[in-house]
Amino acid sequence: MLRFLTKRLLEIIPILLVVSILIFLFVHMIPGDPARLVAGEDATLEDVELVRKELGLDKPLHEQYINYMANLVKGDLGTSLKTKRPVTEEVFERFMPTFWLTFWSMVWAVVIGLIIGVVSATKRNKWQDYLGMFGAVSGLSLPSFWLGLMLIQLFAVTLGWFPSGGMESWKSYILPSFTLGTGVAAVVARFTRSSLMDVLKEDYIRTGRSKGLSEGKVVWGHGLRNAMIPVVTMTGLQFGFLLGGSVVIETVFSWPGLGKLLIDSVAYRDYPVIQAEMLIFALEFILINLIVDLLYGVLNPQIRYE
Amino acid sequence: MKKARNILFLLALSLVLVIAGCSSGGGDNSDGEKKESEKASKSGKDIVIAVADNFTTMDPHDTNDTLSNSAQKTMLEGLVGFDKDMNVIPVLAEEYAASEDAKEFTFKLKENVKFHDGTPFNAEAVKVNFDRLADPNSGLKRHSLFSLIQEIEVLGEYEVKFVLSEPFGAMINTFAHPSAMIHSPKALEEHGKEVARNPVGTGPFKFVEWKPSEGLEIVKNEDYWKEGFPKVDKITFKPVSENGSRIAMLQTGEADFIYPVPTEQADSINGKNGIEVESNSSIIVRYLAMNLLKAPYDDIKVRQAINHAINKEAFIKVVMNDHGNVLDSVIAPDVQFYSKQDPYAFDVEKAKALLKEAGYENGFKAKLWGANHSSAIKAMEFLQQQLAQIDVEVEVVPMESGTLSDKIWSVQDAKDAEIELYYGGWSPSTGDADWGIRPLLGGHEAFPPFSYNISYYENTKVNELISAALATADLDARGKAYEEVQSLVWEDAPWAFLSTDNTMAGKKNYLKGIYLLPDGSLSVSDIEIE
Repeated sequence: MLRFLTKRLLEIIPILLVVSILIFLFVHMIPGDPARLVAGEDATLEDVELVRKELGLDKPLHEQYINYMANLVKGDLGTSLKTKRPVTEEVFERFMPTFWLTFWSMVWAVVIGLIIGVVSATKRNKWQDYLGMFGAVSGLSLPSFWLGLMLIQLFAVTLGWFPSGGMESWKSYILPSFTLGTGVAAVVARFTRSSLMDVLKEDYIRTGRSKGLSEGKVVWGHGLRNAMIPVVTMTGLQFGFLLGGSVVIETVFSWPGLGKLLIDSVAYRDYPVIQAEMLIFALEFILINLIVDLLYGVLNPQIRYE
Repeated sequence: MKKARNILFLLALSLVLVIAGCSSGGGDNSDGEKKESEKASKSGKDIVIAVADNFTTMDPHDTNDTLSNSAQKTMLEGLVGFDKDMNVIPVLAEEYAASEDAKEFTFKLKENVKFHDGTPFNAEAVKVNFDRLADPNSGLKRHSLFSLIQEIEVLGEYEVKFVLSEPFGAMINTFAHPSAMIHSPKALEEHGKEVARNPVGTGPFKFVEWKPSEGLEIVKNEDYWKEGFPKVDKITFKPVSENGSRIAMLQTGEADFIYPVPTEQADSINGKNGIEVESNSSIIVRYLAMNLLKAPYDDIKVRQAINHAINKEAFIKVVMNDHGNVLDSVIAPDVQFYSKQDPYAFDVEKAKALLKEAGYENGFKAKLWGANHSSAIKAMEFLQQQLAQIDVEVEVVPMESGTLSDKIWSVQDAKDAEIELYYGGWSPSTGDADWGIRPLLGGHEAFPPFSYNISYYENTKVNELISAALATADLDARGKAYEEVQSLVWEDAPWAFLSTDNTMAGKKNYLKGIYLLPDGSLSVSDIEIE
């Protein structure tokens, strides 16, 4: 187990190295001149050249790459071209809001999704199943942009229960995490339902029932545990995606997160910020994959880590 | 039986959802009508202003977006500034004078003004700031506006003289530009480039905290030099990029002032929930540039035909929801030295006749470039439809900003420019005709990549007049020159002249003294709560 973990953690280094090279190349391949964009709409050529020099963009590409890597090794992600602030600060400032929003969205979405999924699977083709799946399909189909604005109209403007945006108190989390989690809850519900239905057909479930176990124990204890593997995989992936920040949610709820930062930095060709964000996303996915792999073992002790 | 119950249940559920949906929109409306004449009320003296984007920096010398300038203007001030109609007014200067040849500018300064850190404001402070701006090595985005400054002489504690390397008649307006605002020399010394996060000025408000993604907080400057001001205690700026969310904040009272208000929603929120929408003319012009080096746009008749083929009133109705004005010169009325021209009347027959004279009886094909945001696309599609009336078949090509700027500015030789038609906008932030005309139409010196003459317009007479207008500080002489420039450009029609934008802000009706200037920047120094 320890060997497995060390090996997996060491693997991260070469992966990140390759990723960083790819990111650097791709980012510099996007058309658009950052000096021109940073200098602004009414800049003269003189301004643009001044900005280019100031930002170090006048140096040859390989030199820029060497600088970038040298700094990266030291843990320095560079300086934002747009705001001239350290990228570490810029990104970290938005990572935590994104993380907590993702976390709370996932918590309620997984709980609700599991409940709906289990109820639907056990009450197959009964009204509970129809209602659950009706909710799940709705949750998947509602554009979060529309849902967010509707929730603001209802709960912020008309009823005044929650703030319409920003990140001030726990109340600010309710509407955005509900909006963000809706899609995930729907996916979890559908995955749980189909996976559990398959499991409930298995022989060991029949054995359990025939030896007189209560239905609750059969479903929650034996059935669900075995049905969880695809659900965990999918939830891990969703978590990774959401950690990238959601532009839509962040825009609608004025949430200071990573998604909008990425879009803005691409629009500005803010190379250091784009590179830092992509690196972080890569790292997040690697770590989440690792966690998911470890969870498999918890769910099914037959899985061994060699 | 069971099935029927299921169906009933689903019906009931959908009904609940529909009602929930309606009550958000509908309830809001009836609320609004009740409150129509009501005056919204406010307790306390803390104001929240929601804006569309994050501020980028608090250093005006290194700023190129009007939004950041607006935030800086609450804390820092310049020697001169603009009033509500873009006229230059003294701020930290008591009076100012320019030499006849527009090479020397002398300012008498206000006495007894202090920066927020206690440093006295004087000629030396002015010198330190403009030395910084004039030095290309400081790497500031606004250096080019002040690159002509050769020497700054401190004539006395409260008198300072600027000497330029060559005459520049529009210099007073440049001093009124937000980038010419003055930092405390002590802050510049202590923080260097980090003044971008530690602004210390002489303005009505003092800096407290700024988190780019969350907002800016400023408090009243108790020692402000203008007696009795400011009249509120605290202002918080919040970046809210989604239009609908910004409006919701104004409706819930989470914000007291928001801008911009999208023109589409302006009328539906105005007068409800104690909200007032202010729509005022700006100096932002909208135009359709034509590449004069390319056929058929090298033919003046074709350009005039295009001008006649576009219904500008309809353009404003459709694209701007009636919040704008017809552009009747190359610059907007609030820009210094504006002179009104005779509009090209909307006349399809005349346009067709002109095209026929030019030999394009059956029209031609054209590519129209522009930005890819929805309002630009809407405008371009409108132009496409209008030009179809004279058989000009327009292909609309919206482009992402980086790609678009590459296409326009990577051109090294004017003859290679691919551009045919370009839909664009311009706001001359110095408020002077010079910055409204020279970068856009000032001959080969303004061709890309040097500047923004995307029409590749070159008229020797215009170039001469622009130079002459810069060679003197005599306002009459400058005015005469620009009058002629405007009429020449209007005749040559390097653009189809379209419209000027309105500035759009929404506020609770208890707020007074807060407004957007025609350059789109915000003024809060006179803000008060009724």
